[in-house]
Amino acid sequence: MNNIKRLYVFSPSLRIWHWINFLSIMVLFATGIYIGNPFFIGSQGIEPALAHGETLTMGLVREVHFIAGYILLASFIFRILIALTSKRDRLFIPKFWTAEYWFSIFETVQEYLLLKSSKEVVPHVRNHLARTAYFFIYLAIFFMIVTGFAMYGLSDPEGFWASIFGWVVWALGGEFPTHMWHHWIAWIIILFAIVHVYMVVREDIVKRDGEISSMFSGYKFFKKEPFDAEDLK
Amino acid sequence: METFWEAFKRHGVSRRDFLKFATAITGLMGLAPSMVPTVVRAMETKPRVPVIWIHGLECTCCSESFIRSATPLASDVVLSMISLEYDDTLSAAAGDAVEEHRKKVMKEYWGNYILAVEGNPPLGEEGMFCIVNGKPFVEHLKESAEGAKAVIAWGSCASWGCVQAARPNPTTAVPVHKVIKDKPIIKVPGCPPIAEVMTGVIMYMVLFDRIPPLDSQGRPKMFYGNRIHDTCYRRAFFNAGQFVERFDDEGAKKGWCLYKVGCRGPTTYNQCGSMRWYNGLSYPIQSGHGCIGCAEDNFWDNGPFYERLTNIPVPKQETNADKVGAVAAAAAVGGAIVHGIATKLRNSGNKED
Repeated sequence: MNNIKRLYVFSPSLRIWHWINFLSIMVLFATGIYIGNPFFIGSQGIEPALAHGETLTMGLVREVHFIAGYILLASFIFRILIALTSKRDRLFIPKFWTAEYWFSIFETVQEYLLLKSSKEVVPHVRNHLARTAYFFIYLAIFFMIVTGFAMYGLSDPEGFWASIFGWVVWALGGEFPTHMWHHWIAWIIILFAIVHVYMVVREDIVKRDGEISSMFSGYKFFKKEPFDAEDLK
Repeated sequence: METFWEAFKRHGVSRRDFLKFATAITGLMGLAPSMVPTVVRAMETKPRVPVIWIHGLECTCCSESFIRSATPLASDVVLSMISLEYDDTLSAAAGDAVEEHRKKVMKEYWGNYILAVEGNPPLGEEGMFCIVNGKPFVEHLKESAEGAKAVIAWGSCASWGCVQAARPNPTTAVPVHKVIKDKPIIKVPGCPPIAEVMTGVIMYMVLFDRIPPLDSQGRPKMFYGNRIHDTCYRRAFFNAGQFVERFDDEGAKKGWCLYKVGCRGPTTYNQCGSMRWYNGLSYPIQSGHGCIGCAEDNFWDNGPFYERLTNIPVPKQETNADKVGAVAAAAAVGGAIVHGIATKLRNSGNKED
């Protein structure tokens, strides 16, 4: 067991970003589902015109949604900045121009279809199927930020947010379709999260490589040098 | 050409009434009281603008709305403010006589008249679905627009396409801006637009001799700058989380927010919440029915009107994004469990090395 390699995979900034991102998405999803299908929580003992922000109301739930949205936007910008400065944090970009990429995708699909034992596949720090999924999830989060702030900003069509993101409403054919897209993509992100958690737990149990703890400690463990270890240097 | 003030004098209107009228329409156009002298000067010096008003594929609800304008009265607009030279629906004359007059007016005021288009041109079958004076409306439209200073697209038909352009759009009806590309187009959507919005847009154009400030979609900012939701008197109930669940429940009687029964107020830009209809009497939400979003593009296809979320076409099922999402999430969890067990079985023979 002496030949086990300990590789530093996740930078501190990335780990902090991951958990802030996780928390804000959970808050956004829970509040978003309520906003899409609200119900009367019960008399708040305060007249409607004053209830906004005072008690547990639609107004408060929306406010929490907006605050979490600002946090998501800030963390997304932070994520881009760290990718610019550190090679280690650019792992999510799929290298679809390489033959190795397509080979790894094929092999990982075989692995997940249980056609190939997890021990037989070429070890990767981050397999290319996962990299591709992350890439699309970044796009989905970006889409949610753009549509969310567009709808948020269009209460003042001449204002700051509308001037940055307002165009997306018209690109999607109006504000009602924008609401719909915002719903659909939210569910896609949640479906990703479910599969993501399962895959991480599975990876950790099958390969014993410290996959779960790596998002806290930053380290993963490999018996053989992973194919894409170069990407970390 | 005669100015407004001259026309008013000819009708025996006193200076005092003239100034009162100028003040009223200044407020109506959303301008500050400090603009009153500018409006008065414009009315004293600007000539009345000739307007050609044509009708395509439509239901004439825009005209019906327009003639009910209370401030100013539509009759004042038609008889005093503009010179409505051609309108095949309102004019007493008909047929070749009125068509000849249109051509004469176009020649006389070439480059100066305003073209108001109600309805839209169907392009299918070479435009044969809508005929004006023996010719397809699309040709009538192109011909009339040629010498126009600007084009007003009345209503959702001319602005977006409206009902006749809804799926599957059998006549290939298209909004005016798809056919007329070289003229400034002012979109005044709504099915119909509010009467005072229509007269307000016309007055702005004739008084200031320019098109009103438009938003990114070509709608006048002063009338389409707010969502109905943001000006709605029921907004307090929305923020408080008090919603009508069914049209016969307690919430409906108490006048709570109609968001959950499909109100499109949160996604529709119009003045219904502030100017209201029938001289400020009411508007759909005030009378207990959600907004259907008639001033928005594709509102007819964004149904059903009584659901907050659009249906997803699943055979024999009423379903929406949230229901599908919840089912898919449950399936994903189930799939993960099954896959996990299968993985365990698959690897059970392997020894730890």
